[in-house]
Amino acid sequence: MPEIKSNSLSTMAVATSALRAQQGRMRVIAENIANANSTARTPGGDPYRRQVPVFKPTRVEGAEGVQMLRVDEDQSAFKTEYDPGNPAADAKGYVKLPNVNSLVEALDMKEAQRAYEANLNVIETARAMQSRTLDVLRK
Amino acid sequence: MGPDDIPLFGMLKSRLGYLSERQKVIAQNVANASTPGYQPRDLKPYSFQASLMNQSAGGQPYRGGKVVPAGGVSMMATSASHMVASHAPSAWRATAGADSVTTLDGNAVSLEDQMLKMSDARMNYDAAVGFYQKSMTMLRMAARKVNG
Repeated sequence: MPEIKSNSLSTMAVATSALRAQQGRMRVIAENIANANSTARTPGGDPYRRQVPVFKPTRVEGAEGVQMLRVDEDQSAFKTEYDPGNPAADAKGYVKLPNVNSLVEALDMKEAQRAYEANLNVIETARAMQSRTLDVLRK
Repeated sequence: MGPDDIPLFGMLKSRLGYLSERQKVIAQNVANASTPGYQPRDLKPYSFQASLMNQSAGGQPYRGGKVVPAGGVSMMATSASHMVASHAPSAWRATAGADSVTTLDGNAVSLEDQMLKMSDARMNYDAAVGFYQKSMTMLRMAARKVNG
C-alpha cells in the first residue's frame, strides 16, 4: 500500500473510523433499549443481558483511529419481579428482568451523539483547511 | 528554484505542515473520545528552533566530531545497497497530556478542549495561508512588467 502523504486525508479517515464506531455504539444502545423488557423464553431462564461496546484505538491511513472491537455482556445482576402468571416465571413465581436501565442508555446515547457531532466537526474543519489551501492555486 | 527556497515561504510551508499535523493529532483525540484509558496528545508548540532545524535539513553533518542533528538525524549510506530514508523525521513531537477532566474509565479526552484546539489550529492555518497568498501576490507584483 502506498504511503499516504496528505494529513488531511488521514485526518478524515480517522474521523470516519470514529463515526463508524459511534454508529455501532448507537446500534448496541438501540438493541438494549428495544430489549429492555425481553424476558426468557423458558421458565426460570435468563432474560436479555445488556450489551456493552468495547472501543480500541486502531491504525487507519497511518494515524490512530478507533474501532468497535467487540460487544461484551454486562455482568451485573438481573432485577426480579413476582409475576407467577408469566411464562418465564420460575418455580417460586419470580421472573428475571433484563439488567437494562433506560436512563443509562439515554445518557450513553447522548454521549454517542455528542461524539458523532464532534467528529463531523473535525471532518468539516479538515475540509475547510484543505479548500483554503486550494484557494492559493486559484488566485 | 521554487518559492520554498525563499526563507519566508519555507517557514510558512513548515508552519502549515505543523498545523495540519496538529489537526491530525486532534482528530485522533476526538476519535478516541470514548476509548477507555486513552490519553490525548498534542504537538509541541511551533518554535523557531524547530523551524530552523527543518530549514537546515542536510547541512553540517559534523561539528567538533559530533553529529549535529540538522533536520533530524539521517543515516549514512556506506554501501550502494543501503537504502536512504526519503525524508528526514519531523521536528515536531506529539506529547501526551491529560485534558481538564478524566473520566472513571481513564479516558482523559475532553471534547470541549479538543474543539477549542481545533478551531485554534484552523484559524492559524487560515492566517498562514493568507500570508502565503499575500507574499505570492507581492512576488508577482515585483516580477510584472512595468507598462510605460
